[in-house]
Amino acid sequence: MAYPTDAGNPQNVDGLDELLRSMADDEFVIGFSDSEWTGIAPLLEEDIAMSSLAQDELGHAQALYGLLAEVTGAADVDTLAYDREPADYRHARLLDHGRGDWAMTIARRYLYETADAVRLGALAGGSWAPLADLVGKLVREERYHLMHVGLWLDRLATTDGEPRDRLIAALDVLGPDSGTVFTPLRGEAALLDAGILAQSMAELEREWRSGLDPVFDRLGLPIPPPTRESARGRTDHGAAFGWLHGEFTAVRRTDPGATW
Amino acid sequence: MTARRAAKTSPSTDGPAPTPLEAWEVFRQEKDGDPMRHGGSVMAPDAELATHYAREMFGRRQESVRLWIVRRSDVVDLHDPDLLQPPLDRSFKKPGGYVMRDKLAAARAASGQEKPKASSGRWRRGAPPRTSERSES
Repeated sequence: MAYPTDAGNPQNVDGLDELLRSMADDEFVIGFSDSEWTGIAPLLEEDIAMSSLAQDELGHAQALYGLLAEVTGAADVDTLAYDREPADYRHARLLDHGRGDWAMTIARRYLYETADAVRLGALAGGSWAPLADLVGKLVREERYHLMHVGLWLDRLATTDGEPRDRLIAALDVLGPDSGTVFTPLRGEAALLDAGILAQSMAELEREWRSGLDPVFDRLGLPIPPPTRESARGRTDHGAAFGWLHGEFTAVRRTDPGATW
Repeated sequence: MTARRAAKTSPSTDGPAPTPLEAWEVFRQEKDGDPMRHGGSVMAPDAELATHYAREMFGRRQESVRLWIVRRSDVVDLHDPDLLQPPLDRSFKKPGGYVMRDKLAAARAASGQEKPKASSGRWRRGAPPRTSERSES
């Protein structure tokens, strides 16, 4: 094994399950939520593009749930994705905001993609090879996601009238939840000690904000305020997630335990 | 016309007039060294979105290593039978020389002979070399 001996086996590091769960749930929730655009996006081509992005995220979630199953001994990926109660999901509160209109979807995804890119940067080259390898692949796919959502943010922000107005309204709603991707994780210190995570969530949030500010300044968009109730940024999911959870578990609940 | 779909947006929009969609032709290369082949087209308001949509339509499943995205209106279209399908016999311009098939058929008809049957062996003596019949000089 190539694991550093001083850290023991990183697979046993406290907090690794929390890290994987938060990442997987983020990707799963935004992937499912954005898949709601399939069939109703503004243009046929954009419909396909957004559906493809959403599918990519579900693929990323699947890979991350796979690692989580390895760490926790969970039965399989589907059990992790579909068989938990809403309170057991650990996605960022940012993603509890429903897809809303097109501007809301773009604003939410832009905030998430930029935060995810910073987080992945702190995991690339980490000491637990299975995660570091996966992150290397995720980074390559997320690059296109960032390009695409950045293009839309730019267009909405620079088109006066309804596009810009709706974008600003969406950013105002997301405001204090924008930074919740960087909610401190239980066991974060152990992850840092083991070299799985290169920087703390607090440091990563500062890095994210310093990258976001000049973009929002240039486009004249409202800078996201400090995170509200930052310690509970991945728990206490509200009614909107309850509804989404009901949607994505609907088919599975028709016949619990069935082999599909 | 589908290229003007974007003009039909909500009348409540008070921003600038929406950019109309236009067609972009997408050529794809499956692997290094392959020729670029036409894959299809996408509708987009500009080159940047056309590139994204082309990637989604013709590249997201690792089926291409390169795409060319060309505005359809930039393509020079030549579709003129006088220029491309000249009516007189041009077989003398082909590397195989004259195509003898029609003349042989006429000669056989005149002499009452049947066309020799293709042998069941590996070589079909009567078959003209296919490549030279297709290529042009």
